[in-house]
Amino acid sequence: MASDPHAELMKRIGQGDKQALAQLYRALEKAVFRFIQSKLNDPFESADVLHDVFIEVWRSASKFEGRSKVQTWIMGIAYRKSIDVHRKRGRVSVTDDIPETADDTPDAETCLTAGQEAEHVRYCIETLGEDHRSAITLAFFQDMAYAEIAKVVGVPEGTVKTRIYHAKKLLMRCLSGRVQRGAVA
Amino acid sequence: MTRDEISALLPFLANGTLEGTERAEVQDAVTHDPELAAELEALKAVRATIQAEESYSPGEMGLARLMRDVDAETQAANANRRPLIWQIAAAILLALVVGQTVWQFTDSGPGGYQLAGDTPPAFTAAFRDDVTEAELRSLLLEAGVEIVSGPSALGLYALAPLEGVTREEARAELEASDLVETLETAETPD
Repeated sequence: MASDPHAELMKRIGQGDKQALAQLYRALEKAVFRFIQSKLNDPFESADVLHDVFIEVWRSASKFEGRSKVQTWIMGIAYRKSIDVHRKRGRVSVTDDIPETADDTPDAETCLTAGQEAEHVRYCIETLGEDHRSAITLAFFQDMAYAEIAKVVGVPEGTVKTRIYHAKKLLMRCLSGRVQRGAVA
Repeated sequence: MTRDEISALLPFLANGTLEGTERAEVQDAVTHDPELAAELEALKAVRATIQAEESYSPGEMGLARLMRDVDAETQAANANRRPLIWQIAAAILLALVVGQTVWQFTDSGPGGYQLAGDTPPAFTAAFRDDVTEAELRSLLLEAGVEIVSGPSALGLYALAPLEGVTREEARAELEASDLVETLETAETPD
């Protein structure tokens, strides 16, 4: 595995170094918050979960064995805590791996135009189910490889590929539809 | 690799995480398939838009909250540890006291523990069951004797005359007391 830029910080945190924790927080806070926010869609609740995630990092740092990147490990904690919040809300997590109903391949040219509009992209990502949204967020915002995404969400790599495949199709269809319907950005 | 498999990997070509033969194969497919190439461009645009989105995270406020709670947790952990330190200190102290006591008794000479110096016992006495400590102390003072060991399992005390008191004087006082049930002359060790 390529050298992990945060591995040394984790080692220090495991030894009780609070400054190292602050450094790690500053390095990853935005990315972790963004991911949680993509799942919960509530900035206040997301801030609480972010806090809980880093508290757990503080408590568990000494147990981190370096089998994955530090960021992947932390995203995994964030993912599980977000799922817990969903459960407390009473939302049952339904898998999003639903087959396509029609093969109406969207026009890539139109998608490219819509893909450049933040409003369209935000809207279409929000229409995705949880699993698809997580996969797309981790791939496009966190720039994670599918193997890393699999570790974060605790599923086989093949499942990640399937989710990404469907998420991508739904996203493209949504973007294309927005442009064709002339939705106001 | 099928076209669907290649399509599933396009987002990872877009985010630059695809490596090795997978990357080469997907890249090759994109080069020869205008549809895949157009889809890749759209995905890159979506990725760029997502990355450019402003995110209002808790930032330094969140860090201050984190540090406050970590400090509180550390202090609580230290507070919980403190009684343990005291318990250990108390245990060590107790062990020292017990050790010293045992050493004193075991080092006080042969024939079990003795309460009063090296004086050999002159009598073996048994006292009434209802005798009080004050009555016994008074009798021992009057008779001029001290307890050198006892009570044994049978309730017998070994007594020795104090300095300046003869055995006979002591015996006379002890025999005259109704607190004494039995009085025997002790065997003198060789």
